[in-house]
Amino acid sequence: MRLRRLVARGFRNLADLDRELPPGGVALLGANAQGKTNLLEAVYYPVLFRSLRGAPDQEVARFEGPGFTVEAEVEAGPTATVAASYAAAGRRKRISVDGEEPARLADAVGAWLAVSFLPDDVALATGNAAVRRAYLDRLLALADRRYLRALSHYRAALAQRNSALRQGRSEVASAFDAPLAQAGAEIVAARERWTGEAAERFTAEFECLGEGAGTRLHYRCGEGLGQAESWRPALAEAMARDLARGMTSVGPHRDDLVLELGGKPLREFGSNGQQRAAAVALKLIELASLRAARGTEPALLLDDVFAAFDRDRQARLARRLLAGPERQVFLTAPRADELPPGLDLPVWRVENGRVIA
Amino acid sequence: MSAIEALITELARLPGIGRKTAQRLTFHLLQQPPEQAGRLASALVAVSERVRPCEQCGNLTEEQPCAICRDPRRDPALLCVVEDASAVAVVDRSTDFRGRYHVLGGRLSPLDGIGPESLRLDPLVARVRGGEVREVILATNPSMEGEVTATYIQQLLAGLNVRVTRLARGLPMGGDLEYVDGVTLAHALVARQEVS
Ligand SMILES: Nc1ncnc2c1ncn2[C@@H]1O[C@H](COP(=O)(O)OP(=O)(O)OP(=O)(O)O)[C@@H](O)[C@H]1O
Ligand SMILES: [Mg+2]
Ligand SMILES: [Zn+2]
Repeated sequence: MRLRRLVARGFRNLADLDRELPPGGVALLGANAQGKTNLLEAVYYPVLFRSLRGAPDQEVARFEGPGFTVEAEVEAGPTATVAASYAAAGRRKRISVDGEEPARLADAVGAWLAVSFLPDDVALATGNAAVRRAYLDRLLALADRRYLRALSHYRAALAQRNSALRQGRSEVASAFDAPLAQAGAEIVAARERWTGEAAERFTAEFECLGEGAGTRLHYRCGEGLGQAESWRPALAEAMARDLARGMTSVGPHRDDLVLELGGKPLREFGSNGQQRAAAVALKLIELASLRAARGTEPALLLDDVFAAFDRDRQARLARRLLAGPERQVFLTAPRADELPPGLDLPVWRVENGRVIA
Repeated sequence: MSAIEALITELARLPGIGRKTAQRLTFHLLQQPPEQAGRLASALVAVSERVRPCEQCGNLTEEQPCAICRDPRRDPALLCVVEDASAVAVVDRSTDFRGRYHVLGGRLSPLDGIGPESLRLDPLVARVRGGEVREVILATNPSMEGEVTATYIQQLLAGLNVRVTRLARGLPMGGDLEYVDGVTLAHALVARQEVS
């Protein structure tokens, strides 16, 4: 899958742009605070219709501006044009695929596929479980729309149930057990299935990045929660505690994707290099999983990732990340000499929000 | 506040009407002959003065009880439970149902502060206990909250001597199986029907 043309207006500090993109991608070079990451953010926006940095839309809109528009002309077999615009007045967002507004946002998700790797993504290895759950959710939602539906059902049921718990109404809270169990079991089952397939690949990628053997990836969740039937007893058992705390303590919103090295949590015992390699490995698996699920190669967005590695690791990383003639790559670096060796991409300069090809 | 401003503010409170639309409606009304606005105003006053929930079923009516509850041809053994009075008109217009209704006045939603006590559940139990009702058809909306409300009522009526049914849930017309969510698909599978 390739981005053929990108239109961005009113987006962050970027001057309005409408550009064709090279099939292999581009290297974006420029000094700090010029807009390189902002441009990656614009490229990624039509993937999930939100900022890849997790910023709310009003922050993505240019300061004092009326809002923004992003349009991605995507080539994936037939061409699709995925567009999103946000109006600051009324805080309204409009989404369209080939000019038509889908009934639900979920129906537009995945028409354009990309995987981003930002400096902060090392938190996949060093951060708390919420970071890894977000990783799983994004990846599985893009792989299968049903997952996204289950996720939004789950969140809605959980919010209602927790609200009832805070009101001290256990009988009302339990009324939401059925939808919670149904959607929750779907989520847990999908995450377990994915982890089962990814575990071996994780170990292999980690080794391939030269950080040694003995890593393990597994999914930690409540016993049997991949089946809806297991939920009722689990929720009933936790009820007294949940009432006291005013929140549901059972379910995939509490789970973790555990990374281990030699039987110990990588988060606590891994070296910086190992943690960074684990994050890279997860990103590579995200790419491979999406490719397998969707039958097309997602674009890869790399924001300033090479700087953190030594020359030797850079070369290894570049081989893994940039492999494949099908892959369109967008990467940023402050200067040309910080690009990995052997990289063969057209260079665009980003200066004060302007793109100079 | 000016009269114009007051009207815009009131209109903008209505569902689906933003400030822009409210302004448009206001200026449209101002361009009409004054009788037009007068008719609208008196219709509004009449509605708010005369229309009340039916004491039996909760449907909106000008007389007590409502026309449906009074109609002797309606089967008192069948009770269709809906969330809002607007659903009574919809079900009655588009189906062959000729029983009676019971309007809950909402659905369970703790986030909106709507618990069982905010719904007309006691009157429902009282009607069922009255003995005439044989079947309660739960016709709450096919949303998560609607489902939950239906389940809650089903449990509430469990001890009583009444048949409780739920509107079938299935695949939407004009859909693509691949994009149907798991919950709907699971329901449709459970509620599958013999075709031969
Ligand atoms: N909504 C916005 N409107 C206008 N300017 C913005 C907005 N949000 C961020 N900026 C500006 O964009 C600039 C940062 O751009 P960006 O993060 O893309 O920099 P960068 O080129 O990636 O720099 P670095 O190399 O330091 O990562 C900052 O000067 C910031 O003030
Ligand atoms: Mg940056
Ligand atoms: Zn009535």
